Amino acid sequence: MTSIPIGRMLRSSTAGFTFGCSVPEPEVPTFGTFVKAPAQRGQAEVIGLIYDIVIEDDPFVRQMVAAPNLSEAYIEDQRQNRQVPVEVSVLAVGYQNGAGLGGHAIRPYTYALPPQPPITLDHIHQCADDEVRAFTERFDYFRLVLDSRDAPADELLAASLRRAAAARPPEARAVFLLNAGKELARLLAMDVVRLENLLRRFRP
Amino acid sequence: MSLELNKLTHQVEDLGKALADRATEFEQRLPAAKAVLDAIGTADDALRHKVVIAKNFRWAGAIPTEEPVNAAFSLPPHPPRVNVIAGDGSQIHPDRHGIALYYLINVGSIVFRHGLADAPVVRSQPQVFYEEADLYEEDGGLIPSAMIDVQRDIAELGELARLAGEEAKAAPTVALLDNGLLLYITLQTPNQRLIDESLRDYLAQLDRLKASGAAVAGVVDRPRAAGVIRLLRLAEMDEGEIGEDTLRSLGPFQHMSDGMLFNFLRPGERSALFLNASPANIDRYGPRGHAIYFFYLNAGRPGKDALLRIEVPEWIAHDKDKLDLVHAAIVEQCRVPDGFPYVLMRAHELAVVTMSERRDLDQMVVGAMIRRGLSPHISQKAQGKAWTGAEKRRFRK
Repeated sequence: MTSIPIGRMLRSSTAGFTFGCSVPEPEVPTFGTFVKAPAQRGQAEVIGLIYDIVIEDDPFVRQMVAAPNLSEAYIEDQRQNRQVPVEVSVLAVGYQNGAGLGGHAIRPYTYALPPQPPITLDHIHQCADDEVRAFTERFDYFRLVLDSRDAPADELLAASLRRAAAARPPEARAVFLLNAGKELARLLAMDVVRLENLLRRFRP
Repeated sequence: MSLELNKLTHQVEDLGKALADRATEFEQRLPAAKAVLDAIGTADDALRHKVVIAKNFRWAGAIPTEEPVNAAFSLPPHPPRVNVIAGDGSQIHPDRHGIALYYLINVGSIVFRHGLADAPVVRSQPQVFYEEADLYEEDGGLIPSAMIDVQRDIAELGELARLAGEEAKAAPTVALLDNGLLLYITLQTPNQRLIDESLRDYLAQLDRLKASGAAVAGVVDRPRAAGVIRLLRLAEMDEGEIGEDTLRSLGPFQHMSDGMLFNFLRPGERSALFLNASPANIDRYGPRGHAIYFFYLNAGRPGKDALLRIEVPEWIAHDKDKLDLVHAAIVEQCRVPDGFPYVLMRAHELAVVTMSERRDLDQMVVGAMIRRGLSPHISQKAQGKAWTGAEKRRFRK
């Protein structure tokens, strides 16, 4: 499956990155989506989860918000022609070495922060279903999400699990979510209240 | 901080008081001015004769048309389908202390198809000028800023003419310019050849606009002109009094502007049309069929007036349908941004060169020079200004 670019990198660190995109992109990013960005001159791919989407305003837009009977042409001008500052923040949850070296097999993932962040203006792609399935074969990225200070960790983890389940055949989804719940029970054994809240968010 | 604001406290207070006093004084003088405007009504032969005499003294007032000078014309209906196009330009003047000697003109334009849901078509067209023929005059001097500005004005109008040629075939089209339609080059330079060439090129673009079938208008926000005030002064004079010295003074209307006079216009209403009596208009634009007329327009809404001065060539002023189209289209365009045409705001946004963009352009120039073995650097004076003009760091204990 060919993935469609959904934006370009604005700023980044090893812990995560922020990319910009315009509203009319065909694949509008959503919260909890798995995305990938090239790093180390294309020798690696950083895998991340979208945890925040900010649509900035400016004084011009503020003025227009109050205008009565705003016709479509004004709205389309603002959305398509002006630089629409949609900023999407991503939490890095792993990376894949040798991503740019070709070959069809999905290479193994490392569930840790990447050695280098992506570079400004790099294209960001949404992960294809097979990539999501491969990345979530293991749950080692849970700890990075649960320990995140910037992202709403529990909401993000639950959203990512719902997406990962949806990327699997229907008959495999319940087993996947059950196994994810078991892993969370291990990680949050000392915080039963948080565990219960989290499990409620993604149970089938 | 070099500017010691504490030393300005009293001066700024005095400034505020002076402005308030002046506003009060204008309010007191305004009824008399309005009374003269009402007394003129439809200009009679006596006033028209005074205008003829005054024109001999290069009088730059407003010549009344057939419309009563104190009239208010209500907002005509807006057609369901109108193209509104706008152009604006910006420039970077050559900086002899900069990295390299060049100048830039950037023209932004927008085509807004009112009545369709399509996104407007926008364009930004920059051009950099760096050849010796671009940069130097015949006497070896650096090109004056006024010449670059007039090149920008011609480029703006040229872009409007290009777009009007395409758009006017599909629907009634109004082309708007963020400025008056009279070039001020005649006032800015004594160089007659430059004036002639500039006016020739500018008027050629007005020819193209006229041929396209589109309407064109220049929009001036917060107008300071006093052409109609000059007419009031002239109306109050006896024919024998008319002379260069007496016309120079506005007498009891000193420092008043047309904008104050036309504050009786309600939202959507326009004033009467007037012909601009400036010598450049009468001597240059008129013979080419492009004499510039103007009217004032309240493009605001109830509770928030927004007075604009709208300039149109004679082929719009004499065509009621096109004049109504200009009137209605400008008011509609002003509805969303609350008092100034949307398309002109967008054209400005597309044309303006920000400081950071200018720095980026300079960096591109540096790269191009280094690749050819040059060692670009700004003058030490410019470097010093960059160092000392930055925000000063404060001493911290």
